[in-house]
Amino acid sequence: MTQAEILSVLNNSNAEAIKTFTDSLLESAEFQGLIVLENRTGLAMLPAVDSAQGTTFHLGEVLLSVARVQLGKSEGFNACLGRDLEQALAVAILDAALTEGIHTEQILEFVNTQKVSLDSSDQLLLAQVESTRVQMETF
Amino acid sequence: MAYVAARGGEEAIQNSEGLYRILNGDLTRQNIRAIERHMPYLVDRVMGEGSLYAPELAALALAQTGGDLYEAVLLLRAYRSTQPRLFYALPISSETTMVVRRISAAFKDIPGGQILGPTLDYSHRVLRLEALETDSIQAPKLETKNAAPSSYPKLTDWQREVGLLAGELEPAVQTSREVAALPDITREPPIYPAPRAQRLQALARADTGGILTLGYSNMRGYGGIHPTVNEVRLAYAEVQLEHPITGAVFSAGRVRVSSAEVVTPFSSGKTPPELSLGFAACLGWNETKLIAAAMLDVAMSLQDPHPAHQEEFVLSHTEPVEASGFCIHYKLPHYVTFSSDLDRVRKAQAGGSLELELEAVGV
Repeated sequence: MTQAEILSVLNNSNAEAIKTFTDSLLESAEFQGLIVLENRTGLAMLPAVDSAQGTTFHLGEVLLSVARVQLGKSEGFNACLGRDLEQALAVAILDAALTEGIHTEQILEFVNTQKVSLDSSDQLLLAQVESTRVQMETF
Repeated sequence: MAYVAARGGEEAIQNSEGLYRILNGDLTRQNIRAIERHMPYLVDRVMGEGSLYAPELAALALAQTGGDLYEAVLLLRAYRSTQPRLFYALPISSETTMVVRRISAAFKDIPGGQILGPTLDYSHRVLRLEALETDSIQAPKLETKNAAPSSYPKLTDWQREVGLLAGELEPAVQTSREVAALPDITREPPIYPAPRAQRLQALARADTGGILTLGYSNMRGYGGIHPTVNEVRLAYAEVQLEHPITGAVFSAGRVRVSSAEVVTPFSSGKTPPELSLGFAACLGWNETKLIAAAMLDVAMSLQDPHPAHQEEFVLSHTEPVEASGFCIHYKLPHYVTFSSDLDRVRKAQAGGSLELELEAVGV
């Protein structure tokens, strides 16, 4: 799984589960030198594309929580929707740990579990959506 | 200009806010969560007009203002102004968008098919009074088989392929650096005629009621077009950011977005005739506003639109915070200016001419 896939899965997963998991890792000695470089809220401007003329325009801004950490020689980063700074920090720590090669197997196993759960809820929603498909007929 | 000082106002102001809270009930986390969970369309409207996607804060704004929409939008805009813009996300792409509703009133058979999605459009509009007599009415369980596709081709792509739509599309914006260079009405006010990017941004954050009013006036006959809904979409879109260390593009999470296209023949005045397309999109799910906005997009592009459908008129008068702010400023003391009006009326009553008095002050 790529870094992009991992962050994407975690940012769409249950925040409390991620925080609990990261907390459990922090007890190990490898995280002793963890430095929080940034942990704040901010905005991202979200653009969309007009299908009439292809114009890209600003749809509006999105509130984000952002975290940047240093672990050993590696930096970790995350930005997620909302104002839960701990959620952003928890994922940034996992990002740094994966880059540093710490607890890789355990983290990937956790991400996989989250991905299965996310895929499952997406599939359920899409199945419910499919049940609303219509065939229009004119008389 | 003269100003008015108020004495003894501090206690009265505190008590007036206290009374407001007493009449509207306690502000509790439980109430805020309930608004966020059970009134998503209201929350969407506040986020769309507030131009900030933050469901929790939009629900708080609604709870804090007792549901006064203009006050809630103002609170969200005010909060937004305290936050730094840290990123420019990549443009929403149809590949990473999960569509849950997609209908066309123009074509019954569209590539990918029609999906009604979550809607009350085809339901009886009757109050479910039994809900007042029972603890709860549970949402039904749907019988499902296959999953719908997550994304669908654009109807406009097919229309261009078969020659129904002409005109080159603008080059795609692909990087956050390019996004940062786009026109932005929060940084530079529009100068009319506005760049299309500013027009669409203004429509995205416009007042739903205002857009509906002007759009409806167009529909009723004051406009020169009779459009048809080409496509309406409700979807979840990934907010895609570039990782500042590695450059990897990842999702920060999903937001609810909606878009509408309307199509109309013969408005371009070109020969041979071709279809004209109007477009609007916004944060949150707000179909009614977007259909009206897409119609206004076409109307504003006509050669000589009705005065109420001119770009400057539409965009200036549907800005919710400016419009509501200007309106409520009239509640503030105007004793001095009104006193001067009264003086002139009294002079006229004493034998002068009101017209001459008004003329003297240039009215």
